Amino acid sequence: MSTHVFVNRLKCLLRDKETIFWTMLFPLLLAIFFNVAFANINSGEAFQAIGLAVVNNSSFQNDQALQTALTEASTGKQKLFELTLTSQDKAEQLLTEQKISGYLLIDKEPVLVVRKAGIRESIIKSFLDSYLQTMASVNTILQSKPKNPALLLNSVGQPQNYVTEVPGTTAEPNSILLFFYTLIAMACFYGGFWGMREVTDIQANLSPLAARINISPQHKLKTFLSSLSASLLIHFTEMLILLLFLRYVLQIEFGAKTGYVILTTALGSLAGISYGAFISALVKKSENVKVAILIGSTMFGSFFAGMMVQNIKYIVSQKFPLLAYINPVNLLTDAFYSLYYYDTLSRYVLNISLLGIMTIVFCLGTYVIIRGRKYASL
Amino acid sequence: MIVSVKNLVKRYDDILALDHLSLTVNDGEIFGLLGPNGSGKTTAINCILSLLKYDKGEIEIFGQSMRPEAYDVKRNIGVVMQNVAVYNELTVQENIDYFCGLYVPDKRLRKELVTEAIDFVGLHEFSSYYPKKLSGGLLRRLNIACGIAHKPKLIILDEPTVAVDPQSRNKILEGILELNKKGATIIYTSHYMEEVEQICSRIMIIDKGRAIATGTKEELKAMITMGEKITVESQRITETQLNQLRRLPSIVSADYKNKLLIIKSSKGSNNLETVLEFFKTENIQFGKIYSELPTLNDVFLEITGKQLRD
Repeated sequence: MSTHVFVNRLKCLLRDKETIFWTMLFPLLLAIFFNVAFANINSGEAFQAIGLAVVNNSSFQNDQALQTALTEASTGKQKLFELTLTSQDKAEQLLTEQKISGYLLIDKEPVLVVRKAGIRESIIKSFLDSYLQTMASVNTILQSKPKNPALLLNSVGQPQNYVTEVPGTTAEPNSILLFFYTLIAMACFYGGFWGMREVTDIQANLSPLAARINISPQHKLKTFLSSLSASLLIHFTEMLILLLFLRYVLQIEFGAKTGYVILTTALGSLAGISYGAFISALVKKSENVKVAILIGSTMFGSFFAGMMVQNIKYIVSQKFPLLAYINPVNLLTDAFYSLYYYDTLSRYVLNISLLGIMTIVFCLGTYVIIRGRKYASL
Repeated sequence: MIVSVKNLVKRYDDILALDHLSLTVNDGEIFGLLGPNGSGKTTAINCILSLLKYDKGEIEIFGQSMRPEAYDVKRNIGVVMQNVAVYNELTVQENIDYFCGLYVPDKRLRKELVTEAIDFVGLHEFSSYYPKKLSGGLLRRLNIACGIAHKPKLIILDEPTVAVDPQSRNKILEGILELNKKGATIIYTSHYMEEVEQICSRIMIIDKGRAIATGTKEELKAMITMGEKITVESQRITETQLNQLRRLPSIVSADYKNKLLIIKSSKGSNNLETVLEFFKTENIQFGKIYSELPTLNDVFLEITGKQLRD
């Protein structure tokens, strides 16, 4: 490798403000935008206790079972109801002002009063139905005079769960992570701008600068590799800055496998640069057409990886699995996703292997096209 | 012999860009390749530099076959391409240092060479400027400095003065002569015949990829029948007078257009005197009258039947 070429190339590329913007500042700005846009998604999805009033009349005062059931449902961290004991008029007023979703009036039978149909109203009704069913069952059993009624009443208060939960992950579910993972993947493939420039500056039929380098006493591919190393170093550093920004400024979780996250970013960076180089070498059109192809394909890839609509990723995985496997942006996104969510590495290894194969194809393709040192036309 | 090209043939599909072109460039000369745009000058240079594939022919530089991997040969060649080829992100000094570094690995020596090159092209006060801040002429000078900083034995300049102001053009031409005085052999391509006449010791005129004449400027001019061109401003000349003029001995042609009479005479003395005698005899009134020796354009015109600038 030529140190002279590498050092000067670093100098050159670091002063290329336009490419620096698209490969580093643009993803950072997009990350800030995502953070602002998705700030309330998780808190919005958390369950909020349902406002419920109970008319505190004599019937309710006498119904110890209902009082116990409502108290249990309205205490603790994961309480179901925000319970208010009040008069009927006050309950009616609270309902009108939409401060509660419904109220219970206990007469001979508990009556639920709601103003509209909705999830919260349905939950109150389900609770009430369940209570009434259980009480009806208990009454029926008690009428048959069981040997040990205390045991029966005890078992009613302690329902048995016959399903065992086996978690596939220890990670906290977080619906916004995927957006940020696709953003990193997109930023990696924006590294294609660097790759594209490398090929333009080494192919004599693409630029006068490249012609000048080709007539110098330097081995073309060694010069290309020295130059490409500078691009790779700059882009990988940009990606590390993005990772640090996401992790420590925007508090985005990546799980505990930090080493793998960095390794994945490095491979993503290489994949992006080689992809851009391949497009530049393969497409015999103007620079603008090549840039349009790079941006267009990266944005399509990001879209199908779930960057704009999260469900698209799942729809593609279920209906068009091949598309999921040939989309390098999706593979990279999914690699970060599986590092965060899964304790095992099998899904991660599959993603990284496919991405590695694609990177090798891009590199070999570029090599085959640019290895010639004489041109049919300039 | 520094460069030897034999029977070079280059085709672009059906277009024959170089048609069995042969040339030799001797040590210490400034060899001019003169021809109109599209005549094959740049194609010939790119083939010589092993940038372009060619269909047939042999190219030797410094006695060695020229190939892309002939690094020893390339080390002694400096090229100034037609298009400015510099990095916009590097300053004048950094650009020259970068390209010089592709030839000269030693940093200390390179520093001296870069300083010399900057002084040579007169860019000392602009050495920390980025190329975007330079005018077209200064940019061309930077382009030259990048090509010659490593002090090559053979310098190839492909139309280095295109779109350059007269001041920069003179500076560039003087620089080329100076490089030649210092021992560099130079190949200079241009479609400006005045430049080629001014600096080249030997000239090849090419058209449609073929060499149509080679020699010193005197030898080239000696190849044509025209010895002198006399131009006369006159308000009126009849067709009869014009025919009489054409019949005079030593007159090759006479044409009257837009009140300008252009007479081409064969080699020899007293041509102007003959014409003046005829005007006196015929009592033809005239204004300015001047005589010129043939130019390379006249050579090109006589051989190809078209103007060099066409």
